[in-house]
Amino acid sequence: MSRSPLRRSLATPVLLGLILVAFALVAWAVGSKPFNQTIIDIFLKVIFAVGLWVFIGNSGVISFGHIAFACLGGYVAAWTTIKPMMKGISMPGLPDWLMQTEIPYWAAAAVGAGWAAVWALIFGAVLMRLSGIAASIATFAMLAMVNSIYSNWDSVTAATSSVVGIPIVRSVWPYLIAAILAVVLGWAYGISRHGLALRAARDEPTAAAASGVNIPRMRLIAFVVSGAIMGMGGALYAHSIGIVTPDTFYLGLTFITLSMLVVGGMGSLSGAVLGVLFLSSLIQGLRWLEAGVQVGTSTFALPGGVQEIALGAVMILILMFRPAGIMGNRELTLPRAGSDTPGRSGPTN
Amino acid sequence: MSELSADKVSVAFAGLKALSGVDLTVASGQIVGLIGPNGAGKTTLVNVLTGFQAATEGSVRLDGQGLSGLRPHEVRRRGIARTFQGGRLFRDLPVIDNLEVTGVGLGQSRKAAIAEAEAMLDWVGIAPLANRIAGTLPYTDERRVAIGRALMGRPAFLLLDEPAAGMSAQEAAELSALIRRIAEELGCGVLLIEHNVGLVLGLCDHIVVLDSGAVIETGPPAAIRDSERVRHAYMGTAAETDLPVLEVEA
Repeated sequence: MSRSPLRRSLATPVLLGLILVAFALVAWAVGSKPFNQTIIDIFLKVIFAVGLWVFIGNSGVISFGHIAFACLGGYVAAWTTIKPMMKGISMPGLPDWLMQTEIPYWAAAAVGAGWAAVWALIFGAVLMRLSGIAASIATFAMLAMVNSIYSNWDSVTAATSSVVGIPIVRSVWPYLIAAILAVVLGWAYGISRHGLALRAARDEPTAAAASGVNIPRMRLIAFVVSGAIMGMGGALYAHSIGIVTPDTFYLGLTFITLSMLVVGGMGSLSGAVLGVLFLSSLIQGLRWLEAGVQVGTSTFALPGGVQEIALGAVMILILMFRPAGIMGNRELTLPRAGSDTPGRSGPTN
Repeated sequence: MSELSADKVSVAFAGLKALSGVDLTVASGQIVGLIGPNGAGKTTLVNVLTGFQAATEGSVRLDGQGLSGLRPHEVRRRGIARTFQGGRLFRDLPVIDNLEVTGVGLGQSRKAAIAEAEAMLDWVGIAPLANRIAGTLPYTDERRVAIGRALMGRPAFLLLDEPAAGMSAQEAAELSALIRRIAEELGCGVLLIEHNVGLVLGLCDHIVVLDSGAVIETGPPAAIRDSERVRHAYMGTAAETDLPVLEVEA
């Protein structure tokens, strides 16, 4: 009667992966350094948006705190990849073994994911018993707490000073691989029994509990998986710019990634990815127009600030006319014949 | 043989007694009816039995073991399933996923849950609806999906909260036949809360009547049908009209 959830929804990560590969190929073909950096930034935002979606999309609990896990991952990259001599100057309080540690960026991303997952488990064990706005406020408090600790623990995080010397990775390919990995992880979570149970709990918590679903535990699993993805993204973010401060991972990044998720659609993995691609493309296009475009002998330029205004306008329009986002809770999938419902048992709905 | 019992259960909300010392027992394969006028405390009792509401006094026991303090999902994992007034389906999910949620909630893999869900849909008689989105179903089918969802994992007890509400006589008769099959073929003990007194009188082995949170009558259907106290609770007077009985095909 039915196919497995894996086979039914496999088209989604494949199509999303192909779109991301297309973006990377364009960056490679263009060959411009600024454009390359733009595509890298898009891939990082994809990682963050997917990490957010794993928790928010499946649990229905809005989290303002997930960028804290990116912060944890970003500082892991600083602690483990900066030359020991430089660490001795900026972060003299690090334990000796960590001071001497120098690992490749990809290993730092993996350690950052693990470190963030551990803290997601600790925070989540307390927070996941809350629901609705109380849970959202608590996640924001978690973000503020992490930011406050990292802004004041001078000997280990250099407090609000910039931590420099993180090896910069300029190739687009590692970020592409990480973004695809995030998409695959998000999809795998979505089709897992934990993902299905959590979506049921999101829609009808009473009936889900009566069906044997341990809702706090299901939320905690999603919180840890999403925390790990954010940690990986945070570490790679640090390697994309070579510098971190606590405010790199605070309100600005929180609200832009949440906006991308809202615009794409919180109810589907495809919405998370396409929201990033859509808003990032829009922002980049407006940046170019603000910088000025040469047409013949004339230069046309939009006034400064149009980018922010346009971003706000797009958000308002989406919320007014398409509150479920561009994807409307549907997954990107291949057209098919037959009676199967689109997205059935997959990460959507 | 398993037994689910409420022992002198009382529930008070800010001083207002919703239940007062209620005793009730359901055994495997037995169909027990729980009737009473609106506000009698029927759903509150089901909430207590399934862990959604803590009893102020008294206890709930499964085979002699207390269930007090267990959360709803833990009660479900002990084999006590329920449905809700209004269905409470996962409306955006397909029918088969609605059943699958119970399977995975009880610890099954998705593959195992799908296999059981398909078999259960067939058993309940709604296999063709497997891929329909639950929120698009007609009312009667919604009720069958809710029952199928509750039967996943073969619970020892099934608590049905007004499953026939809004159904025609024909639909109610079909539902009765399904409930009888649940008790006889699955050996499941059924507690049936229902305003359709005719259905309850025609189907149940034993009936408990609640009024204002207290048990006012208990016994076999014939005794309940003839009870002046029950008629008074339902009609406000010792009416001469007989309570209706719905004939059910075995």
